[in-house]
Amino acid sequence: MSTGLVDNWLNIDTFGPIYPFVGTEMLLTIAGFAFWIGWHIWQLKKESAEFKEDIENINKQGGPGKVLDDEATREMKDTVGR
Amino acid sequence: MDNELTALGIIFTEFYYWVTVVFMFLIHVGFCMYEVGASRYKNHTHTLMKNTMLIPLVTITFFFFGWWIYFAFVNGPWIIGDLVAAPFATPWSELMGTHMGGAPIQDTLTSDDTAFWARINGVFWAAFLLFSWTAASIVSGAVIERIRPSAFWILAVVIGSFTWIIDASWGWSWNGWMVQKLGYHDAYASGVIHAIAGGFALGVLLVLGPRIGKFRADGTPRNINPHNPWLVTIGLFLIYTGFWGFYVACNIPIIDVYGPAMLDVAGKTFFSATNIYLQPTTLSAITFNFLMSLSGGLMVAYIVSNGDAFWTYSGGLAGVIGASSGNDLYHPIQAMLIGGGGAFLAYKMHYWVEAKFKIDDAVGAVAVHGYAGFYGVVMAGFMLWGYPSSPFEGYATISPWGNFIGALIMFFVLGFFPALIVSKILHSFGMLRIPREIEMVGLDINHESIRAMEAEEVALAIRAEANGSA
Repeated sequence: MSTGLVDNWLNIDTFGPIYPFVGTEMLLTIAGFAFWIGWHIWQLKKESAEFKEDIENINKQGGPGKVLDDEATREMKDTVGR
Repeated sequence: MDNELTALGIIFTEFYYWVTVVFMFLIHVGFCMYEVGASRYKNHTHTLMKNTMLIPLVTITFFFFGWWIYFAFVNGPWIIGDLVAAPFATPWSELMGTHMGGAPIQDTLTSDDTAFWARINGVFWAAFLLFSWTAASIVSGAVIERIRPSAFWILAVVIGSFTWIIDASWGWSWNGWMVQKLGYHDAYASGVIHAIAGGFALGVLLVLGPRIGKFRADGTPRNINPHNPWLVTIGLFLIYTGFWGFYVACNIPIIDVYGPAMLDVAGKTFFSATNIYLQPTTLSAITFNFLMSLSGGLMVAYIVSNGDAFWTYSGGLAGVIGASSGNDLYHPIQAMLIGGGGAFLAYKMHYWVEAKFKIDDAVGAVAVHGYAGFYGVVMAGFMLWGYPSSPFEGYATISPWGNFIGALIMFFVLGFFPALIVSKILHSFGMLRIPREIEMVGLDINHESIRAMEAEEVALAIRAEANGSA
């Protein structure tokens, strides 16, 4: 049994495609397209959820102005690097 | 592959394009460094990932349809003819996989197809693909710090695997309709990569709007300086380096100009490198002109920007881009002067457009690529007026009007308008721009908060350990 058309390398001068499962190219193309479109949909949903969470966090901390003030204070104290 | 000379010619060509791909990778490294250097601290991770992830997305879509478009759309389609069959470039073609060049399995292919494309298809595809990354990456810099990554990646696929490759099919192939009918000449892609990408970036920017704080209440612009100018300049140096691969990839390394695959003149043989239009050229010529146009751009940009590092480096790039259309044929001093003009135009236009139209182009991409690219195509029309645009009979000659129409097609028809339409669609769904609160505090707020907490925890642990052992 072999997954490809190659059963020896003696007649290499006549070989065409040598990847496994020759004949499934159309199926592979459909699967590839689905993977691509699926990735965009998944990423978009994830990004939207992430933004929603970020905005909630920002508001919980008192809004963008407060977050920036806190950040500036933290940097002045330099507590992160110590 | 049954004799040494044929094998050498084929494997040399295969290796030649492979090397160009490796060089062109540096363009992307440069763009990533450049963008991160230009962005502010709290946007670094998202800025980097935005540009990085265009690599896989444009790659797979260029495999799925970009490569096929290049061969299939040379007639428009339906501008001067129908779609052209390109069975070696469809994603389901056996020639888009590992192939030894023997008889085909698929009945849409011939033995000539397999013998010719088996070793060249992947490397030739990759050389074009790296141009696709560049086109998308040019847009990426202009829109930093406020575009949603998801929106950018959709736009990257639109330019990287669709609109730019249509323009390459039309104006950057030996038989494209623009070459045949307009005499369009753009040997090293002033228009087909740079003008289109600049126009595309402008279309996105118009809908996206400026970064918060970019303009004062009276409408005058504030400078948002690069976070790390040294990273920006090293990035631009790397782009210069990658540009060598870009130039060389625009050539066909060795072909018998009189052979049956080309002019088919009996009894004559002349092996040469050619440009993409199959007109003979030499690596020597483009080496002269690349360096001289780079020099012209650097020198003029240094003067007009008062020695500003960011604009001097960008001006070097604008110099090369401004001369690229005709750098296969120009004299090196012509290339230098034309390159200088490209840098001058890019610098002046950037600030004029920014002040006049309130366009916030974060890295000057529209100017350096778009305006200098447009100018480069137009200049080549004048400089090479009357030259044949192709070695084949029946093609229009190079002319100012042919190249001017070509520049309009590149910048507006395939760059600006598609970007404007797609951006407006994304905007109408609220998918184009990041939420205002997040823009104000920075896209990386979550990453940074987590990193700060983790660093603090580690610092506390070390302190506890130190106190315990004291």
